[in-house]
Amino acid sequence: MNERGGDDERNGINRRTWLKALGVAGATGLAGCSGDDGGGSTGTGSTATATDGSELGTAEGTDAAVDELPEVGGTYRTIVSSPLATMNPLYNNEQGAADVASFALDLSYGFRPGTRFFPQLYDLTTDGGNVWVASLREGLQFGGDYGEVTAEDFVYQITQLHQSEWAATADASSWPSEVNVEQTGTYEFQIELPNVNPLYPETYDPLLYPVPKALVQPFVEEENAQGLEDNPELVELQYTEGGNLGAYTLEQWNRSSRLVFTRNEEYYLREADDVPDLFGNAPYFDRVEVQVAQEQSARLGALEAGQTDTAAVPPNRVTEFDGMDGVDVYQVPQPFNEVCVYNMRDNGWNAGPGNLFRKQKFRQGLGCAVDKQSLVRGVFRDYAQVQYTWQPPWSQWYPGDEEILQFGTGELYGPEAARSRIREAVSDTDYGYDGGQLLDPSGNQVELSLYHSAGQNTERNMGQYIAQEFADNAGIQVNLQAIDGVQFVNNYWQQQVPENPDQYEWSNGPYNAGPREVTGAKPWDMAIVFALNTYPLNPTTADVFFQRDSSYNPYGYYPSWNAKELFQEARAATSQEEIQPIFTEIFKRVAEDQPMGMLAFPADTIGYSSDIVGPAENFFSGWNSAAWYRDE
Amino acid sequence: MGLGWYIARRVAWSFVVTFIIVSVTWGLLTAAPNPEVQQAAQQAAMAGDNPAEAQDRVRQLRGLDRPLYEQYIGYMTNIYTLNWGWSDSRAQPVTEAVTEALYYTVQYSVPWTLLVVTLGPLVGLYSSANQYSWKDHLATGFAFFGYAIPNFFFGIILLLIFGVELGWIPITYNTDVPVFSVENAIQLAVPVFVLVTGSIGGIMRVSRNESSEYMNADFVKTARAKGVSTFRIYARHVLRPTMVPLSTTMVAQLLALFTGSSILVEVVFSIPGLGRLLFRAIVAQDTSVVLGTSLFFVFVATIGNLLQDLVYTVLDPRISFDER
Repeated sequence: MNERGGDDERNGINRRTWLKALGVAGATGLAGCSGDDGGGSTGTGSTATATDGSELGTAEGTDAAVDELPEVGGTYRTIVSSPLATMNPLYNNEQGAADVASFALDLSYGFRPGTRFFPQLYDLTTDGGNVWVASLREGLQFGGDYGEVTAEDFVYQITQLHQSEWAATADASSWPSEVNVEQTGTYEFQIELPNVNPLYPETYDPLLYPVPKALVQPFVEEENAQGLEDNPELVELQYTEGGNLGAYTLEQWNRSSRLVFTRNEEYYLREADDVPDLFGNAPYFDRVEVQVAQEQSARLGALEAGQTDTAAVPPNRVTEFDGMDGVDVYQVPQPFNEVCVYNMRDNGWNAGPGNLFRKQKFRQGLGCAVDKQSLVRGVFRDYAQVQYTWQPPWSQWYPGDEEILQFGTGELYGPEAARSRIREAVSDTDYGYDGGQLLDPSGNQVELSLYHSAGQNTERNMGQYIAQEFADNAGIQVNLQAIDGVQFVNNYWQQQVPENPDQYEWSNGPYNAGPREVTGAKPWDMAIVFALNTYPLNPTTADVFFQRDSSYNPYGYYPSWNAKELFQEARAATSQEEIQPIFTEIFKRVAEDQPMGMLAFPADTIGYSSDIVGPAENFFSGWNSAAWYRDE
Repeated sequence: MGLGWYIARRVAWSFVVTFIIVSVTWGLLTAAPNPEVQQAAQQAAMAGDNPAEAQDRVRQLRGLDRPLYEQYIGYMTNIYTLNWGWSDSRAQPVTEAVTEALYYTVQYSVPWTLLVVTLGPLVGLYSSANQYSWKDHLATGFAFFGYAIPNFFFGIILLLIFGVELGWIPITYNTDVPVFSVENAIQLAVPVFVLVTGSIGGIMRVSRNESSEYMNADFVKTARAKGVSTFRIYARHVLRPTMVPLSTTMVAQLLALFTGSSILVEVVFSIPGLGRLLFRAIVAQDTSVVLGTSLFFVFVATIGNLLQDLVYTVLDPRISFDER
């Protein structure tokens, strides 16, 4: 998914992508981070002892041989804030549900610290990046009478469901018709891409859940999408019971209250020889209990009282919880950034004639108005990293501080830096400065609206800080407006799809229904409602944010650099070495053009009982969650 | 015409009321734009297809192209045969969702209702009998405290004290324990206490004021003069007339119980009841569950009003059945 709302209800056009990213990397399984109230997420300070050397982790140290496997026993208890809607692997697009479902059903692959590919159900290999071969493990078993998992199940799922016109599965966008999939053996199938893509696994497009062909076939024959979506065998993962595809088996699901999983003695990774020894007797808990508690105080109270083993901790309480005897708080980097989005469409800039957001110099001026270091310190309590371009500093694709313009820091911060650029931007208009205030042609101070999610304290604080900085350094008055996330999507963020899309140069759906004259229902100037994904494993996916005619351009950004061409070059590259300089160029350009105010990368802060062994402070924490255990 | 005929008429009228409400709901739903149809048009436009054709297809699929009377009959049949549709936010039938939630709501709402209905009037009566004494002030203070402090806030405070600090109660509700067990009583004690303190105030105050009217009434003085015991005077001569207007308050209280207060308390104490079901369904725009839960409240309200009318006649024999 491209975006994440300020609350637990993730609002997005493609939540599945985000879901996949977390499902295999960040917050899977035992992480239980879905209890974040949007109290912000958090970053750089050190809380629990990191088990890896960096935010991406390192390749070393994760495969260490163990003398003695941990003892099996006890219950792992986690707590989430929202009940699950469904666990149907074909239709679920909620992160929380995917986290919970991962106890009972593994995804096909993941990534380990050091961005190393971790084959779970199948390995993915390629010679030239054009044809990828998926090689399944043998001996994978569905539950019930569905028998062994074979390549046929996956090929059928892709060709008959994801690539169909009627099923509308959550993965449909990952499998366009140009991708050709063929079974080449009982345990092998190949994926032929229309273009070379050396980072194909990192796109998470080939990521699948195993689903038996025999289960879905009747629905395929009748083209019954509703039946497929509501089928209890899929919704409740009944088809996994008795199989070996997950570390645990779902035993009980009370929709609004709790889920109980029991240990799966037959878990397939125990027999695998290409995984760390620790998987030898995994999993190490007899039971897993997932409790639903909507109220943050209850979740935190349960963590403090030892009634749960994990819960998300808001940044303002990290120090308190980390200081408790029985709790360690881990900072887990995540790919979403905090941005101040400028509306460059015709319903943006409601402070006077024109739309100054469309001018690069003006945006740079705004970039100089906000002190990002202070923002990270004051609002995110130092549990975040400053953002200058569309990659977190820990990403292997980050160009390096010296390569990019760091707006909002050092010489590129302050009233002079901001005003001089804004002055230049408005030199051909009737706007101008007088006494430190930016005045519109009528002589009134420029006033802009800034929307944030209602009820999100961190976001509101960030908005207040931006308003103060804009007033002090740019002479612009900002009016803060709280709004419900869904309302914002429906009335502001999405455009109204025109009756006749053909009349426009492009019309690419509700998030970019056309050029700047196509707008949402209501006017807005700036917003911090959503955090957007920077896709640190494969930034080619981020091209959607920087192209005027992409499927995601709610803010009407037209790049003043050759974004399309550069991203195409990155896509066509045949090796990672070839891609690196292209990404460096892209992220230099993004930093310079300031398509939006790029502010910070908050980390998730998750509290765990201190006797739980397994969580790590890197992006891939949770990749080995099936092998976590309690050190009594 | 006796009580039986009166009851029969009231029950019949209740059916008419629910029928009207359900019909109005259908009218509103039919008049509102259907999100599925809108979504289909939008998707078609995005894919370069004809939005009008896509809308027609969905209308046909959902039976929205049938004549209105057919749609109405189908809707009413489904409502009264408890076929309330499918919950998208829970992936289960709406009736199942409502039944599951009701199971937990009943567990705390029954003791809550019983305590409020019994304690409220009694405390009010006690307060009235000791008017302007320290006992009256204490009872009044208790009533106003419960009325004034927000339930969710009070709940969180008690949860932190008894759950986190003292460790006497579980912080999150455990659905595994048997209904009639000590564990269940322990975990429901605080939510019930919070709800009782929050709702007893109104009843207690009404009871106190109503009782005060009768404390020095002629028939009470007569009873005293005849040597009737104090307990009997309060129970038979004061409490009974007090309960007539009070029964109206109680029905309103019962409704508030199932909607307003219970949502917040269920959220705080993680009880998977009707309040949370409704709240979650509204947030998720799960129309079927919102409708199903609302219909449940409609039935509760209708039955509550019916009971109220019957209680009137039992409490005050002077109220005639014939004129009503």
